[in-house]
Amino acid sequence: MQTKDINENIAWAKINEDVLRSMENPRMGYWVAVVCCVAMVMCAVAAEIYQYQVGMGPANLNWPHMWDLYIATFVFWIGMSHSGTLLSAILHIIQADWRKPIYRFAEAMTTFSLMTAGLFPIIHLGRVWNMYWVLPYVSDRGIWPNFRSPLVWDAFAITTYLTSSALFLFIGMIPDLAICRDSARGWRQKLYTVLSLGWQGDDRQWRNFRKIYLLMACFLIPLAVSVHSIVSADFAMSIMPGWHITTFPPYFVAGALYSGCAAIITLFILLRYFFRFDEYMTIPILEKTCKLTFAIAMVWSYLNIIEFAATWYGHDMVAKELLIAKFVGPHAPYFWMMLFCGSVLPFTLAFEKLRRHLPTMFVVSLFLNLGMWLERWMIVTPTLSFSYMPFAWDVMWPSMVQWAIVFGSFGWFGLLFLVFVKVFPSVSMYEVKEMVFHRRHYHSSALANQFHRRASDPKPGDEPSKEGA
Amino acid sequence: MSLKNILENWSDYRRTAEDGGHHDYEHMWAMAIDLNKCTGCNACSVACYAENNLPTVGKKRMMKGQGMHWLRVERYWDEPDMGGDEKEYQERGGSFLPMMCQQCNAAPCEPVCPVAATYHTPDGLNAQVYNRCIGSRYCSNNCPYRLRYFNFYSYYEESWPEPLNMQLNPDLSVRDKGVMEKCTFCVQRIRVGKDAARREGREVHDGDVITACAQTCPTEAIVFGDMMDKSSKVSKIWAAHEVELGKHEQHKSDPDLRGYRVLEGLNTDPCVTYLERVREA
Amino acid sequence: MSGNDINRRDFMKFMGLGGVGAATLSGCDMPTTITLEEGKEKVVAYLAPEEYAIPGIGVYFASTCQQCPSGCGVHGRIREGRLLKLEGNPKALNGRGLCQMGQASVQSHYNPDRIMQPMARKGGSLQPVSWEEAWQIMGEKVSGVDQGRSAWFTGTVSGHQSKLLDALNQAWGSKEHYVYEAVNNAVGEAVNEAVLGDAVPAYRLDKAKSILSFGADFLGTWMSPVHFSREYVKFRTGDRGVLVQVEPKMSLTGANADLWVAARPGTEGVVALGVANVLLTKHQVNGNSLTKAALDLIAEYNASKVTEISGVGGDSLVRIANYLKDNSPSLVLSGESANNHANGYQNAMAIMMLNVLLGNVGKTIEASNSMAFKDLKAKRGNSRALLDFAKAIDAGKYDVVFFMGANPVYTSPSHLGFADKLAKVPFKVALSMFLDETTLAADLVLPLSSPYEEWGTTVAPYQPKNAALSMSQPLMNPLSPETKSLGDILLSMLKHHGVAGYAGYDDYYSYLRAALAGMPASVKAGKSGDEFWSASVQRGLINAPSSPGSLKIKLGDIKQPGYQANSGFPMHLVPSTNQNMYDGRNANLSWLNEAPDQVSKVFWDSWAEVHPKTAAKLGVKEGDFVKIESDQGAIETQIYIHKGVHVDVIAVPIGRGHEEYGRYAKGVGVNPLKILSPAEDAESGELASYATRVKVTKTGHSADLSRLGGSERQVGRRLVSTVAASVFRRVEGA
Repeated sequence: MQTKDINENIAWAKINEDVLRSMENPRMGYWVAVVCCVAMVMCAVAAEIYQYQVGMGPANLNWPHMWDLYIATFVFWIGMSHSGTLLSAILHIIQADWRKPIYRFAEAMTTFSLMTAGLFPIIHLGRVWNMYWVLPYVSDRGIWPNFRSPLVWDAFAITTYLTSSALFLFIGMIPDLAICRDSARGWRQKLYTVLSLGWQGDDRQWRNFRKIYLLMACFLIPLAVSVHSIVSADFAMSIMPGWHITTFPPYFVAGALYSGCAAIITLFILLRYFFRFDEYMTIPILEKTCKLTFAIAMVWSYLNIIEFAATWYGHDMVAKELLIAKFVGPHAPYFWMMLFCGSVLPFTLAFEKLRRHLPTMFVVSLFLNLGMWLERWMIVTPTLSFSYMPFAWDVMWPSMVQWAIVFGSFGWFGLLFLVFVKVFPSVSMYEVKEMVFHRRHYHSSALANQFHRRASDPKPGDEPSKEGA
Repeated sequence: MSLKNILENWSDYRRTAEDGGHHDYEHMWAMAIDLNKCTGCNACSVACYAENNLPTVGKKRMMKGQGMHWLRVERYWDEPDMGGDEKEYQERGGSFLPMMCQQCNAAPCEPVCPVAATYHTPDGLNAQVYNRCIGSRYCSNNCPYRLRYFNFYSYYEESWPEPLNMQLNPDLSVRDKGVMEKCTFCVQRIRVGKDAARREGREVHDGDVITACAQTCPTEAIVFGDMMDKSSKVSKIWAAHEVELGKHEQHKSDPDLRGYRVLEGLNTDPCVTYLERVREA
Repeated sequence: MSGNDINRRDFMKFMGLGGVGAATLSGCDMPTTITLEEGKEKVVAYLAPEEYAIPGIGVYFASTCQQCPSGCGVHGRIREGRLLKLEGNPKALNGRGLCQMGQASVQSHYNPDRIMQPMARKGGSLQPVSWEEAWQIMGEKVSGVDQGRSAWFTGTVSGHQSKLLDALNQAWGSKEHYVYEAVNNAVGEAVNEAVLGDAVPAYRLDKAKSILSFGADFLGTWMSPVHFSREYVKFRTGDRGVLVQVEPKMSLTGANADLWVAARPGTEGVVALGVANVLLTKHQVNGNSLTKAALDLIAEYNASKVTEISGVGGDSLVRIANYLKDNSPSLVLSGESANNHANGYQNAMAIMMLNVLLGNVGKTIEASNSMAFKDLKAKRGNSRALLDFAKAIDAGKYDVVFFMGANPVYTSPSHLGFADKLAKVPFKVALSMFLDETTLAADLVLPLSSPYEEWGTTVAPYQPKNAALSMSQPLMNPLSPETKSLGDILLSMLKHHGVAGYAGYDDYYSYLRAALAGMPASVKAGKSGDEFWSASVQRGLINAPSSPGSLKIKLGDIKQPGYQANSGFPMHLVPSTNQNMYDGRNANLSWLNEAPDQVSKVFWDSWAEVHPKTAAKLGVKEGDFVKIESDQGAIETQIYIHKGVHVDVIAVPIGRGHEEYGRYAKGVGVNPLKILSPAEDAESGELASYATRVKVTKTGHSADLSRLGGSERQVGRRLVSTVAASVFRRVEGA
């Protein structure tokens, strides 16, 4: 049984070779995946064009369901974006070096899920063509957005987060882009030349790189937490039962990390399988990710229980009615499905045998994310169905237009990811080398952790680093 | 108010904040609806369709909950915990509740609009600026009364086939798809009333402005007027039933006075007071 | 106006008249030079507009609503030559209020399915023709008709139009004028006439302290609902009166009652006897006003017998009697469900007996004022006219029939075979605004202008206090110059016939002016002819001096049949009327289709109301389709369940299920009138529309019912809060 996070004897050149190989010569399967994703996106595009022309009616939005899957899926994708930040920023700061082989794709996931999430508030607008009005642009009429509105906060938070996480992804990739540049030909060479910003791997560059990377990491963590808190404010700042809940910010952040981790497991297994990254994306690393996911799942479940208990024992009868409606009402199957996926299924992660079984983990991770998607839906919709005015109670199921756009968003995300893995290294070469280097020298992850801070600096007498060369 | 002052006189400050600050307003348009008089005949709702260019959306869309009834008359059956009983027949009839935008002073819809398309006017109205609306629909979600309606489609071709379009009221627009709308307390009539008063160089009198629903109501159950005018009919009804603006709980000298505001406890401070329905037993 | 689609032709005219059109638009395929001379009419109209046409300012003009026979006065808001909205005329009986049907009558005026030019049957179908041709056809077909071989079949008519119609009929030597209303109070009127000597006395709701109504939906459809709503408020405020409603299916009035009692259709008279029994035995009310026979009959109807027949419990009878006794004076009314039954006359008589017993006649039932002009009075419709007319045309009595304001092909029960019988009439003329079922069966269609495009006078059938003549004036130019008012058509026909005294009038307007000028000085109150005309048009009303009438009391026999179960058809069909579709005439108005029914909240479709117990027995839930089968046929519609229906009753509203009648009406819902069994009230000969027995079966289909609203209960929230009447009287009582 493999117990080490990474094989210490792996050759530098092999790392480069393996990773660069993953970027070349797309095989049949890749193109099939691309075609599938494009088809999914086309479904969404067709639906959106229809909706744009006709209005929001065909989406089966109604009075009182002014929001539905669009907003739920928006929150879902925003949540997904927390994976990258967790792995690259938080784990970077707490010096968990097992993150190194897998953080790159997680970061890409962050950026792409934000790019997906950002589409939804736009798609859901009744008058899309005026979407820029939520931004405080300089208008000759002196009209500003309403800074009291959580939707405006959303716009700020998401654009900031998207910019920062894209920058973070890019900055972290510079040394690897330099490697790519050195072995690439044609348009790729030109692209990497521009993108690697003249990286030579000299001492000054490394020092500055370390500084900016740490700075960005420190900047991103509060940002990530605030982004999802702000998204939760869309609901928590309202006065609706089931939305107006004090625990929503931590609940949303926990849920975000949860779905992010689950998505990492999914993509981990896919990349390991298709790109034969067995030596980098090792089972022990997967196990660690699973353990982390399990811990977050428990936090999430705990926050759920708090929410239910606070509502159940509280004095807000309408909120309690809504909770009961969730338990036994028309949405109950989805609600229990969400609880099963979100709170029961993660217990599979507690068993080592299951954790190490890739197909099981693949399926489980998909279900965890299904649960998290259902969670968002169960936050948005039942509140709208059953709120203060009984006369306005209604149950409305989303139409094919909504489903097509939600479905297409997965295609869009997949497409971005597929492009990414062929254009950019999806495993961080230099950091894997770093990791191997440390393991080689200390033969113990514990020691590596202990000395990590210094270890990142080249030691006197050591072989000079060949990274980036 | 300086920070120190605020901290020292927090409770006073808070009370003024709760008050909605309408005391400086020019007008404070409000309603009183007597459910003892209301028969639930629905004339108000159709009058609203006629006055405010509301489209008819057809059976399918109506069933989908995409109708545009700014003023809806809700009908409830009695239930045991509301004073009724589980008898074989509905002995106490039905309960009718005409619901139009409550023009809340602390309107939950206003702060959530990202583009400030809905805001409070110095007339005490909760205004909706159609041109500014981008259709995020957050306001409707945050309306506890569910009184905001969204244009899920463009209706101007289907709802007003010629020559029905000649009936459209030129005093206000026909809204296109993607825009939120709601009862405006017939703001176009308020405009006309104020203009007429200004032309004649006088104040707006009680009765100069009347909303379409109040005008057509066969039982005159709906009373509309200006709360800043203490002699107006609506002020008198509010005063007689001891309902005050700026409160989320009314302290009455006699608990049997009938005035109440719907979902008052949410502190939305609505401008529509209802007077309780009366039944023999 | 919708959108920014400036009519291209209008634009051209504008440009042409401005003198720049020729230069800018040359090369277009339109005539680009419109001279000032050609466009004079339009230009002058704008340069020197009518006094009222102030751009941007709405001006109000008085007229009369014709959407139901009540004849409410209205004020129409006109802006830029267009009628925009209607309000009640504060001086009229309805005050400033208007019901939803009145509000929606602008949609009738602007209806996209209006007939815009005459049509004649050519080769089996109706083809547009010119008026010349229409008159020519009329001349051919009508002129040669023998005396007495023509007839008019109309809805309620009154005023000068009615006078002209009489004159025309007289000229033709035919007195045959059938006045039909599917929704009527004819049986009640017959009883009033017999007992009180006044068919339509004044019901003083405002004076009553308790009202017991047997199916009289006076807030919704009974006689003059807007007026009664205003009276109802007086009844309900101050020393608040008690309202008890006894009926098989909860009407709008029932939904406002303090006590709503479900009775089997046709047993209302029995309930009235039961109440009288309690009043006599328990309350020792003096029975001197009743005959011995009546008292004996009342004694027979003890609580247990009444319960057995009507399904009304003894405790309810006692409660009703207590309310009536404790809240005096009282008023007892009989409406559709009591009257329109095989024993309708007896029911109404028993109900009138209660009024006599309680001493209400003279207190809350007052004599109507007899009007100065008998010839202008409303001819009130009934359903006997339909039965008589069907018999007459079946016997081939008429060669020419004129239809106006009634749609018997739609409202007649299928057992009458009305359409087939109608086919036997050689020539049928329909004067109509819409292609309804009857109009489509006609050979010649004369397009009527809308009530807001024409001159006219209306005398409301219900004239409680001040007798009044309500004016109609054109509120705008006709949408189509090819439509004509009823008055103009009648006048043309009179002139064509060479009837003396009409040749001098150019049109109906000049006739009306002359008629008003010729009114007695007492009516004109000292004004000159022109002054009086302007005042009348301005007010919209002419208050005629009237002398107070008097009432006699002569109670007839009261017979009551026992209740018979009909095992083959166990349930009663209630073809209920609501203030929305009314008798079906409003089905072509989209506002009213979209406006939910007041009680069930169903829109855009028909439905069948049943009690929860009945639903359980049938095994149906809301939205399930059921087949309602009588001996005359079957209809299928969806179920709505509530506790405002008698357990033995299934109620289907009338007014939908049109086969024609425009885009909004056609094919929507079902028409329960079609499956009515052949039954008549024995005394009055009125159609007994509530006497049909049906069998209800589940079809197995189900769909969402088009009902507005989610929960029908308030779920503990204080949305509609209720306070006890005793508290109300203490705090707000007079």
